[in-house]
Amino acid sequence: MAASFNSTRSLVLLRAIAQSGTLCSSSGSRALHVTAVCCKNRAARIRVGKGDRPITYEQALHPHHIGHRKGWLSQHTSNLQGEGGAAERTVEDVFIRRFVFGTFHSCLANEIVIKRRGNVLTVCALMLQKLPPHKFYFLIGYSESLLSHLYKCPVKLEIQTLQDKVVYKYL
Amino acid sequence: LMMFLSNRSKEAVLEALASTVNRDPTAYKYQFQDDPYLAPRTSAEFKLFSLSQESGRSAAKYFINSNPKFFTKDFAEPHIPCLMPEKVSLLLEEVSEEALKERISLRKVKAAVDMYDQLLQAGTGVSMETTHDLLDLICLYSDREPVQEGGPETEDVSAEEANRSKGRIRRASDFLKTIWRENNNAERIFNLLPERDTHCYSALIRGMIRHGAYVKAFDMYTDMLNNRMTADVRIFNALISGAPEVREKYNERWDLIAELLNQMNQQKVQPNLLTFNSVLKALRRCGSLARTQALHTLSEMKALGIAPSLASFDHTLAAFYKAGKHSDITLHTDLLQEVMSELAGSSFTCQDPDDGKLWSVCLDNKDIELAYRVQSLVEAGENWRLLGDSHQQTIYYGRFFSLLCMMEHIDVVLKWYRKLIPSLYYPNVQGMRDLLQALDTDSRLDLLPTIWKDIQLLGHANKSELIEELLALMARETHSPEVQESFAVCALDVKSVFNGDRGTLSLEWSTSALCHITSLLLRAKRTQEAWEMLQLFKAKNRVPSEELMNEFLLECHAAGAPDRAVELVQLSAAFCLPATPRLAQQTLKDFDLTDEQR
Repeated sequence: MAASFNSTRSLVLLRAIAQSGTLCSSSGSRALHVTAVCCKNRAARIRVGKGDRPITYEQALHPHHIGHRKGWLSQHTSNLQGEGGAAERTVEDVFIRRFVFGTFHSCLANEIVIKRRGNVLTVCALMLQKLPPHKFYFLIGYSESLLSHLYKCPVKLEIQTLQDKVVYKYL
Repeated sequence: LMMFLSNRSKEAVLEALASTVNRDPTAYKYQFQDDPYLAPRTSAEFKLFSLSQESGRSAAKYFINSNPKFFTKDFAEPHIPCLMPEKVSLLLEEVSEEALKERISLRKVKAAVDMYDQLLQAGTGVSMETTHDLLDLICLYSDREPVQEGGPETEDVSAEEANRSKGRIRRASDFLKTIWRENNNAERIFNLLPERDTHCYSALIRGMIRHGAYVKAFDMYTDMLNNRMTADVRIFNALISGAPEVREKYNERWDLIAELLNQMNQQKVQPNLLTFNSVLKALRRCGSLARTQALHTLSEMKALGIAPSLASFDHTLAAFYKAGKHSDITLHTDLLQEVMSELAGSSFTCQDPDDGKLWSVCLDNKDIELAYRVQSLVEAGENWRLLGDSHQQTIYYGRFFSLLCMMEHIDVVLKWYRKLIPSLYYPNVQGMRDLLQALDTDSRLDLLPTIWKDIQLLGHANKSELIEELLALMARETHSPEVQESFAVCALDVKSVFNGDRGTLSLEWSTSALCHITSLLLRAKRTQEAWEMLQLFKAKNRVPSEELMNEFLLECHAAGAPDRAVELVQLSAAFCLPATPRLAQQTLKDFDLTDEQR
């Protein structure tokens, strides 16, 4: 909870600490500290700004639009009734996203889509045409091989290239 | 239904689905990404991309093998051995048989030999099995490490080869073959062994034959017979393949092989497929004897119930057909027809290292029906895997395509063109010229602009003879106006290639190219560009041809531009063309010129 703060939230908390501070005595006893609730959703949202920041479709739509106007970025069956391993799949996904982001440095145009079908892990990525094709193939061979050995399953990369990022709107 | 299903294998459904899908002729090879930016358009790009992907994989393997502790957690069920890190460095350092086995499995020749010597000195015995493995390892690599260092080795190799080759055409592979050195570790260890059994002899003999010490191998074999041991089938295979090297005359060679086969019979060793294949391969070096004996060998194989593999047919055909000999061509095609009808429809697996060489040989004649049969055989089942690496495949498809261009109607040619290119085959300059010839023969020259686009895609746009031929074909006759218009667009494209506008290396302008382009532009009534071309003539020091001047004059007459005509005459005078006076006269006659212009 205390990990990430932006300015408005810290203001609210400071006020709350100030309020609670006057209640507890300075004798060193322990009490329950309660803060006021910040009644806002902050997850995966880019707030409206000056109007010069380009946003892709994925970033523009908020998480409650998933399933309505957005698709899923990670597709596996562990969230179905009676299936296990959801946590492991999520951890693997996080690692794969960071790995691909770092390997294809500044080439990613959008978030990666990870699909699991049977044993195969398919990573679908949109890339910018920043590198010549033979460098792309080197990195593709490298990441496929490394991820297969790490996760003990066939990992396939499916890359599509674009000239530049597709802007949905400016915020 | 459940009972029916349970009798099949687990992949039956997948196999059934896979059989409904054919190859997609519009897609590039499956190892590449399906994206226009990342797709290989020329054969050079194909090689570059596949090599870079392969080097990425080996970079990952290097990282995995040097940091195995991150990759050892095994949660795959069932266990997948190929996804675990491999052991590349030695773990056991003490002098023991386990350490020796480890070095053998890691293929470290020198380290294994040292460990063996240490074990012997320490007095511990080494088991027979491990000794066998050690001898196999040393003989396989001829007492050298698996990774070739090159360099100083090659000098003594070439000296050896010069002594032995005696007029045989030396190929590059001969210089890379390792030689069997005198008194190397294999022989030393062999001599130190208290008892030698068949396996030890087999390792040594096979190693000697593999690395060129043929006479020694036969001596060792006689040694073995003197010690009253029976040889096994692999020794005989090796000796048979080495027989042509130890005898000079054809009948002597065949006698040696026959004697070896007799001894095999006496020692009650059953021949296998590789035995017969080595007999056939040795027969290739036996000249005219080969034909009868090859057929006998094939019938023996059938009698024993061993199915001949592709390599057997390859060797038999080679025995019958020497490239370039025309007198035997009828015999050759009959044999080929028989071979094809035998093989039709069956699916092969690779059983012999030489299996992949059959296909190109089959297409080395001018029979289109036969070519179709070969192609249907290649497409049947899994046989495409036997076509070999990309170089072999280009040879095969190149021959197939040129045969098609020569023999078939243009529609059939274009159908195969769309099927093969570029998913399976990137044609070279000769292939494109064959295609242009075929278009010419069937007078489909209106397709030339599309073919030009393909030539550019394939990366052949900088080959001058191809461009010359294309331009000559386009400029030869006049066609209908739409075709002429498309030719003119194409000609302007070619001009930009010559000028190096695309950033590629610019070609040298040649007279014929200039003439052709200019006349094409003229015929499509693009006069302004045609005039610019004439200026180019002056700039590049090339002389325009007479027909070109005539065409220009006619065109000026049609457009009614007398000053242009005068310019033309002046230009031709500057070039000192012999036609200048005639041009001048014609200009005077046809046009009303002012006095100044006279």
